[in-house]
Amino acid sequence: MSTEDRRTNPILYPCGLSRRQAIWQMGAGFAGVALTHMLAGDGFFDQLAMAGETTQNPLAPKPSHFPSKIKSCIFLLMNGGPSQVDTFDYKPALEKYAGQSMPTDKKYINSGGRAVGFLTPAVRPFRPGGQSGLMISDFFPKVREHADKLAVIHSCYTDTHAHGSALVQINTGKPLIGRPSLGSWVTYGLGSENQDLPGYVVILDKRGGPISGQPNWTSGFIPASYQGTLFRPAGTPILDLAASSSFDRKDQRMQLDLLAQLNEQHMNERQGSADLAARSASYELAFRMQAEAPEAVDLSTESATTIDSYGVNQEPTAEFGRNCLIARRLVERGVRFVQLYSGGGHLEETWDAHESVEKNHGRHAGEVDQPIAALLSDLEARGLLESTLVIWGGEFGRMPFSEGVNKPGRNHNPYGFSMWLAGGGVRGGMSYGETDELGFAAETNRVHVHDIHATILHLMGMDHTRLTYFHQGRDERLTDVYGNVIKDILV
Amino acid sequence: MHTSFCRSFSSREWGWLCFSIVVLFSISQAAHAQTAAVVDFDTSIAPILIERCLECHGPLDANGNLNVSSLASMAAGGDSGPVIEPGKSDTSLLFQRARDGEMPPDKNGASQKLSDAEIELLKSWIDSGAKWPDNRRLDPYERTTGKRGGRDWWSLQPVKRPKVDSGNVDDGNAIDELVDRVRNQHGLTKAPQADRPSLVRRLYFDLIGLPPTADEIDAFVGDTSDNAYEKIVDRLLASTQFGEKWARHWMDVVRYAETNGYERDAVKPEAWRYRDWVINALNSDMPYDQFVTEQLAGDEIEDRSESSVIATGFLRLGTWDDEPNDPAEYQYERLEDLVHVTTTAFLGWTVKCARCHDHKFDPIPQTDYYRVAAAFWPGPVAHRQRELLGGPSTEELGYNVLGWTDITRTPAPLHLLKKGNVNRPGPEVPSGSLTTVGKNVQDFVAPPESAKTTHRRLQLAHWIANPENPLTSRIIVNRLWQHHFGEGIVRSSDNFGFTGQRPTYPELLDWLASELVQGGWKMKRIHKLIVMSDTYQQSSQNPLQKDYANVDANNQYLWRYDRRRLNAEALRDSILMTSGQLDLRLGGPSFMAPISDEALEGLSMKSGAYQASPPNETRRRSVYMFAKRALGVPLMTAFDVCDSASPTGRRDVTIVAPQALALMNNQWVNEQSTAFAERVLAGAVSEQDRITLAWRLALSRNPSEAERQAAFKHLTDMRGESNDDAAIRRAWISLCHVLFNTNEFIYVD
Repeated sequence: MSTEDRRTNPILYPCGLSRRQAIWQMGAGFAGVALTHMLAGDGFFDQLAMAGETTQNPLAPKPSHFPSKIKSCIFLLMNGGPSQVDTFDYKPALEKYAGQSMPTDKKYINSGGRAVGFLTPAVRPFRPGGQSGLMISDFFPKVREHADKLAVIHSCYTDTHAHGSALVQINTGKPLIGRPSLGSWVTYGLGSENQDLPGYVVILDKRGGPISGQPNWTSGFIPASYQGTLFRPAGTPILDLAASSSFDRKDQRMQLDLLAQLNEQHMNERQGSADLAARSASYELAFRMQAEAPEAVDLSTESATTIDSYGVNQEPTAEFGRNCLIARRLVERGVRFVQLYSGGGHLEETWDAHESVEKNHGRHAGEVDQPIAALLSDLEARGLLESTLVIWGGEFGRMPFSEGVNKPGRNHNPYGFSMWLAGGGVRGGMSYGETDELGFAAETNRVHVHDIHATILHLMGMDHTRLTYFHQGRDERLTDVYGNVIKDILV
Repeated sequence: MHTSFCRSFSSREWGWLCFSIVVLFSISQAAHAQTAAVVDFDTSIAPILIERCLECHGPLDANGNLNVSSLASMAAGGDSGPVIEPGKSDTSLLFQRARDGEMPPDKNGASQKLSDAEIELLKSWIDSGAKWPDNRRLDPYERTTGKRGGRDWWSLQPVKRPKVDSGNVDDGNAIDELVDRVRNQHGLTKAPQADRPSLVRRLYFDLIGLPPTADEIDAFVGDTSDNAYEKIVDRLLASTQFGEKWARHWMDVVRYAETNGYERDAVKPEAWRYRDWVINALNSDMPYDQFVTEQLAGDEIEDRSESSVIATGFLRLGTWDDEPNDPAEYQYERLEDLVHVTTTAFLGWTVKCARCHDHKFDPIPQTDYYRVAAAFWPGPVAHRQRELLGGPSTEELGYNVLGWTDITRTPAPLHLLKKGNVNRPGPEVPSGSLTTVGKNVQDFVAPPESAKTTHRRLQLAHWIANPENPLTSRIIVNRLWQHHFGEGIVRSSDNFGFTGQRPTYPELLDWLASELVQGGWKMKRIHKLIVMSDTYQQSSQNPLQKDYANVDANNQYLWRYDRRRLNAEALRDSILMTSGQLDLRLGGPSFMAPISDEALEGLSMKSGAYQASPPNETRRRSVYMFAKRALGVPLMTAFDVCDSASPTGRRDVTIVAPQALALMNNQWVNEQSTAFAERVLAGAVSEQDRITLAWRLALSRNPSEAERQAAFKHLTDMRGESNDDAAIRRAWISLCHVLFNTNEFIYVD
């Protein structure tokens, strides 16, 4: 039922909710979907007035607005803000201006009131990659080999220079805490294809979470079941998945058998027990998840070649390599949205290269270059790249100038930065938009965060103006009242 | 409303236009009066213009410079020239464009063309001389249309106390009478009274958020006096746990959290004093009008005190970014937060939607948003020293608490922002009430000479907490009803506007609202009326369930009491009570709940960012749990605790497998199972007595024979061959753990 209908025709559905809400409440969450289906399969809902609801459960895999080959999205978030002029935005003019001051007509907020140094060229050389000859720096030699798969957007900009709000913005569209994140919108729109795993997975860097924490993967005002699930890439990936040390699986089976018996007696004494039956069934589902979710992070079935290609057994790539490999396994298993963080915590533990771009990006790019390249190769080899969208980028970029004498770092720059997309539906080997000759601010074909979000939704088969959630009197959208799909990067 | 209309035209322009147009119209009218059927403007034409034209061609937003709201402006035409030639529809632009389906324009690809009948009416009207009654000015809000609410919207009408036959109102009979009236119309009858154990368990959870002990239930079952039930009601309403339970509902509405969010996610010092203020206010049955006034203007009232200033913490609970990109812009975000929380909490009215334009669905002109915002404008909304955390200094406030006050009594004017854009200031907007809610519309006046503040918030508070305000009393009684029944009389409890739900029992809502006001705004009376009613005391089972479920599956008409799942707080508190660990100390600083290392990985600052409180602190009730914006407590989040970024009057209730995982595997739950088992082992000696005790502690009743056998079997199976103390203990932990997981534990009939 559309919100339009609801306004003019506020029919109440079971539990006094709109039809849409009623469905959520019955089947919200990655496990809820399966639950509703399981019950439907048992003929359970046939006894209920709400039988019609199950067929339209929006949490089950749901058709997109228009056809799309893309089933899943992997968002590689370079937390801290990588420097565009040192990675994907080739600005030879900076050589010419090296050591000069930033031209005075370039207006900017000097984030954190840091020292303003001199225009500084890329700290590592750029070289052309692939047939397309896209210029990519030596921080990413292995990703460069995949240049022909990438659509690099050079003209990104965002609204804020501070990590806390910029991270929230790249994830939710606005620099204010409280809105649903991109992954929440995607799973809300498309549901989930695997009922034993969350539809929206977030794998953090071991050094820490992103600044602002949970608001980066919150579902905000849409039901909590669409919130990103923190996922650990080894052992028991989901919180509270493992049984406590005192009870093994056999013990838990006995517990669940007793529970089922007690619940059944309770249920038999009551009528209209859809909620009670659903809750009982949720325990069986949870029990199954305990066995099946760890399989997703068990690499024992992966070949040594695959594991080595991601650099899982060597430093500095071990952690991000494992995460990328897990990401592939997750999309293979139908997980809708996977977000991997590179960098965690603060300052140099992230891409926040205030001290030295060479040192900072050397470290972080060194950790991710090979794994990302391996992910692209592996997805392609398995035929998954066509159905997967890979996104690379940070919450903002960095300034073309240093932070002073002997401080070869760069400050935050929300005015211009680069991101790239790869995968199904994306034209590879192309660049889109431009910053000025210093690589400072987006100038040609400017792309706001809303435009990126609109494009991501479009690639996944959704019209960002139609993916709405009615909240406090308003049809809310990921892109608010903004957003343009970047048509030129689409196949 | 009137303000904005007047601003659109200078009086000189207006006078001139009126004169010339009236002459023109009079002449043409005379000429054509006999050739076309006379069309009544008010019944036929005004609705079309209001519903189909005024949104884009109105006084505030005159696309193409065409404003069809008055004779003068209509006759003046727009950028394309005159739009009406009286007597000649064929050459009137307005008619041509409507006839050809060009106006109203397509929306999302769908034609918005007027119906043939509407087009025909326009034609007849123009052909008959386009008669426009003298001084008639179309008010976009004058009536509710198919697309939006107007001044006649139900929730804006004065509260009208319905006539009831029931004599004594104190027994809840009037509620039953009003519910019966509607229910009978649908051919439904109420369920029989709930059995006594169910009823008292319901009442405990409902009033104090904790289960009764088995002994308390037994005592009630054995109490044959007429007022046995009422005695319990009175006792629970008087208990301190009452305020703790009901404060939590209010804390959702006021977006309560104890940190600011963003990078530093700094602690809001002393935010817990606000929480204690709410608990105390509810426990002492503070009149609701005072409850409203102290939260909005406790610093401005005559008998200002530390306590009343703490209440203004209401305005400090939101998110706050200490490092906004553009501080000039950010102050408007803060205004939105303050307008939104105020109008949602007290009025259930989505005023924030009018920040950038007139409200699309409710009669809220954009100027009204700014009239309310102007009440907060003299406060510390602009960016100042980070250390002040977005509030006033201790000196400005007069107390070292988390509170709010104006930092000037002569604030800069507040300008409306066109499209909400900080770079497009419009006219200055005076501080005042909403202009379409109630008859008591007012511009706020200057404060008394002696005042240090503007008294705008005080005037706003008095305007809200006024018996004549049609929203205030309805909103709060509906919130109370909702938490007693699971659903409100208006199910969209934060939105009484066009996009919200209609009341299922309009008369009951008004009766309760008037009862609240007549009773001096005392809320405990309303609670008592509700729980004393037969409607509330119904069983969750109706013998005619099968038939009724087909007619009214969602129980709108209350033919039974809806079984409800405990919320996260009640669930956690019940576990603590069952395990014997619950610490009922009242008030004070919040405790930090233990959070597993895995969940703490979500924080950017790992070391020292989150330190769980010592165990003796973490056994307190959940209302005292520290609420950190960067990280929710997973057990609570799993059970649908709401996001604290904006007000929430009604939480989602979901049933998902991660809840099962949490109750099965969460370490804290396991610890509580152990404590519960130890309590059972220490409290009885024989296995049979222990089983009885376990059931009485967890479910407040004795086990059935079948349950007894099932428990006995489980203990035996878990023990296996072994019969030593460790094995016995382990088996008991397992059984106790299962009891925490049962549906009966988490559902209330």
